[in-house]
Amino acid sequence: MITRLEQMFDLLKGKERKKLVAVYANDSHTIGAAHEAMKRGLVDVTLTGDKDVIEKICSEEGIDSSLFNIVHEPVDFKAAAKAVELINAGEGDILMKGLISTDKYMRAILNKEKGLMNKGAVLSHVTVIENPNYHKLLIVGDVAILPLPDLNQKIAITNYLIRTAHALGIEKPKVALLAASEQVLPKIPANADASVISKMADRGQIKGAYVDGPLALDLCIDPESARIKGLTGEVAGDADCILFPNIESGNVFYKTNTKLQNANLGAIVVGARVPAILSSRGDSVEVKMYSIALAALFA
Amino acid sequence: MSRIERLGDIAAELKKQGVVRTIAVACAEDSNTVGSLARAAEEGFAKPMMFGDEEKIRSTADAEGVSAGLFEIVHEPDPYNAVRAALKAVKDGRADILMKGLVGTDKFLKAVLDKEEGLLPKGAVMSYTCAVEIPEYDRLLFISDTAVLPFPDLLQKKAMIEYSVAMARRFGVEMPRVALVGASEKVSASIPGSLDYAMLSVMNKRGQISDCIVDGPLDIFCACDPESLRIKGVETPIEGKADVLIFPSLEACNAFYKGLMLFAKGELAGLIQGTEKPVVVMSRSESAASKFYCVALACLMSD
Repeated sequence: MITRLEQMFDLLKGKERKKLVAVYANDSHTIGAAHEAMKRGLVDVTLTGDKDVIEKICSEEGIDSSLFNIVHEPVDFKAAAKAVELINAGEGDILMKGLISTDKYMRAILNKEKGLMNKGAVLSHVTVIENPNYHKLLIVGDVAILPLPDLNQKIAITNYLIRTAHALGIEKPKVALLAASEQVLPKIPANADASVISKMADRGQIKGAYVDGPLALDLCIDPESARIKGLTGEVAGDADCILFPNIESGNVFYKTNTKLQNANLGAIVVGARVPAILSSRGDSVEVKMYSIALAALFA
Repeated sequence: MSRIERLGDIAAELKKQGVVRTIAVACAEDSNTVGSLARAAEEGFAKPMMFGDEEKIRSTADAEGVSAGLFEIVHEPDPYNAVRAALKAVKDGRADILMKGLVGTDKFLKAVLDKEEGLLPKGAVMSYTCAVEIPEYDRLLFISDTAVLPFPDLLQKKAMIEYSVAMARRFGVEMPRVALVGASEKVSASIPGSLDYAMLSVMNKRGQISDCIVDGPLDIFCACDPESLRIKGVETPIEGKADVLIFPSLEACNAFYKGLMLFAKGELAGLIQGTEKPVVVMSRSESAASKFYCVALACLMSD
């Protein structure tokens, strides 16, 4: 079991390299990240986009463009379709967003005939946070894609959190289902759904993890709070994973971690046939590497 | 107190405790009512106060071969007035228990539910719990709701659990095992009742429902048969030894108990729940033994 994001790089050592396909890699940020990931041995890289532009940027940045497999497609949404096609043909294991709008990028993934979704699959987002004040990694969702997940979507997210934890080598992760209190309050959906999901885990309908909820945040991560409230069980006070009831709470949580507590993170889009990366230009190189490593472990 | 293992032992327990309860009976003119109350009076734990047509009450007693001297009779030939008078006796504290005789259940319950003069506290859930005895099970089963709530919602189910647990505890079951009965042990969004059950189980875990162990959904096999549990590999703190069964609907619970009465030599004692004082409403089709047990149960549950 790893407790720091950096250790993901160790987990990847000696494993067969996954193939990352970058969508419309027409900018230095995307090319730089792909190059860095290759240099560190995390992945092999295919770049889709305008070949001339890509080669020009490479020469400006002093990067050897022959390191990449470049697939020429000068129009952004067509480059996205091409990247998805490569993945469906078995020529890629990870999708990464380049200089294309998130909207067009997601549309290529979600395209019914040619996209990356299996029927009925739930597209969601998993973030792995390393906060210096917590003794291990925190795997949380969904902070970016599903605004107000219903019960079945929450079950799907719970399973993604568990699968991510397994990919990080956490054998039986402790999953906390977040609400504002630990009480079952039938009229508050966060509390009601959390109790239903924890019971499903009791019945073996959710496997491979300890699951408990509803739990307030202090009860998820602070053993002293759990002790004072008299909450027993594996999860309370020692969560590996936190399921958020809605996008606002999850989004505020991860941004509080990164902006006020110097936390680091890696994040991936999950639920499609392969993990996808949504990093933005503002992200640090470290965050980009963590996200690529996470995708490679998850793939 | 010692544990009451069989319905036939309630009377002995009442006598041991020296309990004597006054029962106000509305329209106490039929043979069911007269017979069960005469026996309870003879056993010494009940003082029947009969409201109704005095002549009819006496002739029914004669026909049943019981002494009308066991009863205090209040002549009130009009059924509506008899119900109100019996209810008032309970409200005023002259009687401990209200019981329905030969009067329509609707009329009777309407009086019980009356906002000013009735017996149901504001906001309380009225429900029905039966204690069932069957030779094939090694303990009494407390089941709900056989008679009052057609489709209980989550909070009504919570009340049903609390009432049934209170009754089981009165029988000396210190930590009743409450199984929430469904068709399987799985939780599924497509079966709304299973979601209620999941929440109720976690409420118990969180201490929002106390003095008992709650788990569900469970089918009857997993609730009451350790061997089935073992075969299915289901883990539950009920351990196949449920004391209380909560059903998702009145039809399910009603069919369950009637099946037991008809095919499994069952006997029962039932009581309205949620009222300030015990209220007895018996079905005419119940056996003489069950009718007597209903009266004894009301005396046991009376404070």
